[in-house]
Amino acid sequence: MTVVVLSLTAARLGRNALLVAAVPMAVTAAWSATRLGTNDVIFAGFQWVPGLDVAIEFRVDALGSLLSLLVSGIGALVCVYAFGYFSATAVGVGRFAATLLAFSTAMVGLVWSDSVWTLFVFWELTSITSFLLVGFKHADPVARTAARRALVITAAGGLSLLAGFVLFVDAAGTARLSEITPITGSTATAAAILIMVAAATKSAQFPFHVWLPGAMAAPTPVSAYLHSATMVKAGVILVAVIAPAFQDTEVWKPLGLSFGLVTMLWGAIGALRHVDAKLILAWGTVSQLGLLITLLAIGTPKATFAAISILVAHAIFKAALFMVVGEVDVRTGTRNINELSGLRRTMPITFVVAVISGASMAGIPPMLGFPTKEAAIEAALGLSGAEFWIVGGLIIGGSVLTVAYTTRLLIGMFGSSEPMVDRDVAPRRPAMTVPEVTLATVTVLGFVALGWVTGVVRAAAVTVEPKAEVYSLFRWPGLTDAFITSAVIVAFGLVTGALLARRHVASGPAARGAANVDWMIDGVGRLARLVAARVQHGSLPLYVATTVLVVCAAAVPFVGEIDSDALYWWDNPAEAVLVVMIVGAAISATLVSSRLGAALVLGAVGFSVAGLFVALGAPDLVLTQLLVETVIVVGFVVGLGRLATKFPTPTRLWLTGRLVIAGAMGTAVAVALAGSASNPVGEAPVRELVETAQTDGGGKNVVNVILTDTRALDTFGEIIVLMVVAVGILTLSTKRGRTRRTPAESPAPDPAPVDAAAREEVAS
Amino acid sequence: MIARTSPIVALAVRAVTPIALVVAAYVLFAGHNQPGGGFAAGLMLGAIIVLRTVAGIQQPRYASVWMSVGGVIAGLVAIAPMFWGEPLLDQIVVTWEVPVLGTVKTGSALLFDLGVVGIVIGLIIALLDGLDAMSLVDRGRMPVPASVRSADIASPDGPEAAS
Repeated sequence: MTVVVLSLTAARLGRNALLVAAVPMAVTAAWSATRLGTNDVIFAGFQWVPGLDVAIEFRVDALGSLLSLLVSGIGALVCVYAFGYFSATAVGVGRFAATLLAFSTAMVGLVWSDSVWTLFVFWELTSITSFLLVGFKHADPVARTAARRALVITAAGGLSLLAGFVLFVDAAGTARLSEITPITGSTATAAAILIMVAAATKSAQFPFHVWLPGAMAAPTPVSAYLHSATMVKAGVILVAVIAPAFQDTEVWKPLGLSFGLVTMLWGAIGALRHVDAKLILAWGTVSQLGLLITLLAIGTPKATFAAISILVAHAIFKAALFMVVGEVDVRTGTRNINELSGLRRTMPITFVVAVISGASMAGIPPMLGFPTKEAAIEAALGLSGAEFWIVGGLIIGGSVLTVAYTTRLLIGMFGSSEPMVDRDVAPRRPAMTVPEVTLATVTVLGFVALGWVTGVVRAAAVTVEPKAEVYSLFRWPGLTDAFITSAVIVAFGLVTGALLARRHVASGPAARGAANVDWMIDGVGRLARLVAARVQHGSLPLYVATTVLVVCAAAVPFVGEIDSDALYWWDNPAEAVLVVMIVGAAISATLVSSRLGAALVLGAVGFSVAGLFVALGAPDLVLTQLLVETVIVVGFVVGLGRLATKFPTPTRLWLTGRLVIAGAMGTAVAVALAGSASNPVGEAPVRELVETAQTDGGGKNVVNVILTDTRALDTFGEIIVLMVVAVGILTLSTKRGRTRRTPAESPAPDPAPVDAAAREEVAS
Repeated sequence: MIARTSPIVALAVRAVTPIALVVAAYVLFAGHNQPGGGFAAGLMLGAIIVLRTVAGIQQPRYASVWMSVGGVIAGLVAIAPMFWGEPLLDQIVVTWEVPVLGTVKTGSALLFDLGVVGIVIGLIIALLDGLDAMSLVDRGRMPVPASVRSADIASPDGPEAAS
């Protein structure tokens, strides 16, 4: 079992890349379809971080197969649709196809995840690919802002999810979703809140919904795929699969219900206020997601069953509706329902598709949406007490609004017989029609073959809630309470929708919530700039002074550690002589007024230190120290050529300041060394090191064996630091060379790629 | 003018170069059992390059090539054991019979050290290049490319301005 392979080579193929991308999706869909309704479960996985018990684990059960069929099937159709949506000359379609396929892979991985860690990884991958897809038109500032908003909100949810999962694994004792048992306690409560919030950000629950309407800046295929059928469902799926664990915590249900109900109503109201057809659908999606979360939060087997059936129906009809809107947009040049009218004659096929899918959304037979909506209402009517009145009432209210905005949308786009002013309808594009018709057909077939659909949905629901086994979807339920309620809802909704469609709304409401989020995101940037301007003042002496003083503060705890009995003056009197030399040279370095002199005196300090190493019997250090000092002195001499020969005369204040800083640093180092020398911890593992050096490292020089074998990873890190430094130097010097020399005179730039990459980084 | 090169300096540096190369090679190989090793050898070669640059014999160039080669060698040595299922940076010790020297024991650590040498040399060359050491060399006697010469005259804070 392999996850779909991502073919990035598609970038070369232009628009055809979309068709290439559709192939693996279609294969996955076909494979998933063969597994529908079966009860055998496929497990696959491997350990990722064994120490932390983090594993990549997949489990394909009935629910996983159903969802991956939806994800890949709609994905393949969307690819075909996008082939028609983009013109043959559109730029970056290859990139689009690759990202779309990457998203699809991530989404399939998400629905197949068994380990919560795997789920988290794919969850974040969908956030990132969604960011790339929303920001596909990256030259457009609106798209960029929308993409950033979506990323920040969903990524914040991702962090919440990670924290929630950590607590969840702690409380449940397992990271596997297939081994979930109900958990309670304060850890479980915290985990429940965090995970519910994460699901709310992903599934656009109020007040996190603001990113979803903004994400409509994406090309319509993206909206049809990510923002209706798949990605926004990730939160719903998460709630569904993890709900058994949190059923018994006190917060799970109220939190889910409040998210869901508020979102359902607010989304539906939003859908009634907008005039952009795509935004109406987006707000409608928000509303439907609220309904799904509500149903899952109710948590009765009937509600769970209803939620999964609605999830399937919604994915199909909402994708089709988005495709319809996209086609209208492409063929007429507008999505504003004020400007559109009478399309039922100019775009007959699209009209039929829209009516079928719209009816499914409104819950009117003979569409798949009808029995699923019926199941939801039945679940709501099955509640008792206050829950019946509040939850049931709101679900019914939300359903009325759903019918209303569907009616308004359809009348707005296709109704009215008067022809449109100043708008021509471009010819039909088959690549757009085929997926639309396919989805509409599925919607109708789903109703016709309802028994089969029931079996599939029931098998999926049972994996989450075993008691859901007894429920079914009915084509004709008879005159039950639910059916009568449903009829009333549709009647009310149709009238309201028709009335509202007549009322002329000039423009949609301003996206105030989104503006607030943007203000906050920008605020972080503003704050960062403010802080950076204060902290990164650009004065080198102040940087050094700050660093040194912080180091001094770090030495303070050592003051109490000094034990004067444990300290002694020297091992060897020669050390005293060398120390006098070092101190003398260091003091004279501060007194010398010429820069060259100072450099040489500093060299003297270094060589004396090398002498000290000789006295202490550390030949390796001596060798290295001598060589380093040699290179440094020469380097100084070379570098000084650019500066005045004398130091500038400092002000008195600055002189005092430097004395204080230098004194503090000296004291701090002395204190730290004396402190650590007073408290030797155990015996130095010299013998052991010598032995392992001989046996494992195969060398007699223990110091070098430590460097190249025992602690070779440290050395590796160090040389990477060296490389970074060198790249920094080269970059800075190249930049300076560019500004000072004319291009013709500058030396040939180094061909090594690392250099070029570094230069680009600085340039950007 | 700080580094006024003379024929004596140039000659001396030229004469020292091969000796220093041999010493550096020795230091590299000796590192396993005696003081020395990759850092020391690299610094020694670096010192030679500094001397040659200051003496005007050589230009500090190809810093990034040195570094990339060094980095790639060290990186390959680091990850190579993983292909045989050994831990990262695991060492392989090989004992050779070399005609003149007798039995020689070397390990992959030597290769790793070779990478270190490359990186240290690269760093020193980068420093010299960054400090624009060439422009400090006395223009009159040395085979300095025309580009550097004209740059010196053009630059306001070149050697003349400084001295």
